[in-house]
Amino acid sequence: MVKKKVPDWLNSSLWSTTAPSANDPPLSRSSEDLSTPTAAPVPVTPPKPQVKDHKESRTSGISNTVNRSNNNNNGNNCNSNVAPTDDNGGSSAGPSPEDISRQAQLLTELSRKVINMRELRRIASQGIPDGAGIRSTVWKLLLGYLPPDRSIWSTELAKKRSQYKNFKDELLMNPSEITRRLEKSTVCDNDEPKSESVGMLSRSEITHGEHPLSLGKTSIWNQFFQDSEIIEQIDRDVKRTHPDMHFFSGDSPLAKSNQDALRNILIVFAKLNQGIRYVQGMNEILAPLFYVFKNDPDEEMTAGAEADTFFCFVELLSGFRDHFCQQLDNSVVGIRSTITKLSLLLKQNDEELWRHLEITTKVNPQFYAFRWITLLLTQEFNFADSLHIWDTLLSDPEGPQETLLRICCAMLILIRRRILAGDFTSILKLLQNYPPTNISHLLYVANKLRSQPSD
Amino acid sequence: MVLVLALGDLHIPHRAADLPPKFKSMLVPGKIQHIICTGNLCIKEVHDYLKTICPDLHITRGEYDEETRYPETKTLTIGQFKLGLCHGHQVIPWGDLDSLAMLQRQLDVDILVTGHTHQFTAYKHEGGVVINPGSSTGAYSSITYDVNPSFVLMDIDGLRVVVYVYELIDGEVKVDKIDFKKTSSTTHSAH
Repeated sequence: MVKKKVPDWLNSSLWSTTAPSANDPPLSRSSEDLSTPTAAPVPVTPPKPQVKDHKESRTSGISNTVNRSNNNNNGNNCNSNVAPTDDNGGSSAGPSPEDISRQAQLLTELSRKVINMRELRRIASQGIPDGAGIRSTVWKLLLGYLPPDRSIWSTELAKKRSQYKNFKDELLMNPSEITRRLEKSTVCDNDEPKSESVGMLSRSEITHGEHPLSLGKTSIWNQFFQDSEIIEQIDRDVKRTHPDMHFFSGDSPLAKSNQDALRNILIVFAKLNQGIRYVQGMNEILAPLFYVFKNDPDEEMTAGAEADTFFCFVELLSGFRDHFCQQLDNSVVGIRSTITKLSLLLKQNDEELWRHLEITTKVNPQFYAFRWITLLLTQEFNFADSLHIWDTLLSDPEGPQETLLRICCAMLILIRRRILAGDFTSILKLLQNYPPTNISHLLYVANKLRSQPSD
Repeated sequence: MVLVLALGDLHIPHRAADLPPKFKSMLVPGKIQHIICTGNLCIKEVHDYLKTICPDLHITRGEYDEETRYPETKTLTIGQFKLGLCHGHQVIPWGDLDSLAMLQRQLDVDILVTGHTHQFTAYKHEGGVVINPGSSTGAYSSITYDVNPSFVLMDIDGLRVVVYVYELIDGEVKVDKIDFKKTSSTTHSAH
């Protein structure tokens, strides 16, 4: 029986994460300048010369974009997406030629009358630059919200946005307003007769047996009170989303309006999907979508950001809904089976590591992979990095779920040395606080896993 | 949309054992924001029970209340409305509209809630509205034995109040409602 060997390229020291080295003064200086609470990705000095140029330009490119987006996060302004050509965060090198070419490619692709989705996916999977609102448009295309045909964009957008507005009007009303509207339709609204200034107040029948203490299942009041629990939960989670980002948290009117938007989206979603309602964690999946769409430099897009985010959120979640449904946990489509798939993937690609995890140290993948998978890796990396990961996740033609599993597998493989050296506690600590790593490396490895011959 | 429960004259344990079960099943915690109680509970256990329905409880003293420290009258502001509360045995003749109107002017409130007569009434006069939620246990009063259990739930929404009247007639809960709008001229807040 041939034991699956770890391929040589995996064993190179290229992949092990190191502490920030002193060889990269320009980049580390700029990270100090920004004083971000989140860790900037670590640039690795590659030892092998043949890959050095490629990697270095890539890392500097990526680190630049990351630093710039960290800048955005802290800058407390939403439309500050700077085109890579202007901004130079301090003393870091300018955008790499790679970056610029990718941006140019994307822009040309986006400006076509009918967009070639395959081509777009191919370019986008290498990473989307942060400037010029490209990411916002590309994500909308990738999620199928915008059709490839540019000419019908405005009509589609208008249709979807008015649909969302209708949802909000219907679903976000409180019962007092609903009863008032019901009455208006049955009885014409006459002024309070001033002549009746003294005397008994006339009693009137209640409509449809609707009163606030009604316990009937169809009563709007009863439904309202039942929903209020979910609404409270949503409220709490929204307030806790990304507390380190000015965009989402704090007392500024900007943060408050963003929180309101998030809340509305989640409430509308919960009411429209009675089967799944709201589960903690959906706010984390929603946050990057809203951030990207709201930061679109195009004014018109920003105005409709809430509606756009709603539909894209529905689309994104459609593939992952089953992970949130508790009843489906043990079924073929539930979270447990997805975690098993991850485990199998790891076994195929790195049996030694798999054995160490599953058998030797008995680290149940549920302990770490659950959060990785359900929250689409938003909690494992800093915000900017997770946006980059989502670029790949959304653009990969294999689909987000397959890609996600590959990335998770790559995450494990990248730190294999540390895992192999650790015991249960240290491995768990490591995996639950995944060490900062170079995202482009991670995505490269994940990509490589795809081309592995499967058995 | 603020829900305010108005009730009173329970007379537990002297004249009634408990609220009717149909009322109790409706009074579920978490729905109501305020409770105003005209008085005559009479014992602390009833006070505690009302507290479980809603922590914000306002009570005035009825003549049979065992807790002597409830105030005689109380005023509170909910939304755009000023509400006044008094048991009503102090206002003579009992249940007389003009005398109650005097009390309302004294307290300077839009809605005055009083009890003691154990009969539901809702009057409107120039100064505002006077509501009597009746007795929520159906206890007999100083005037009559024929009492239907009743209480009142007010939905205060901006300048509009919808008063839902819950009565237990022949074992069935009957709900009616009364609409009342406040003329905006009288709204003013302390500057």
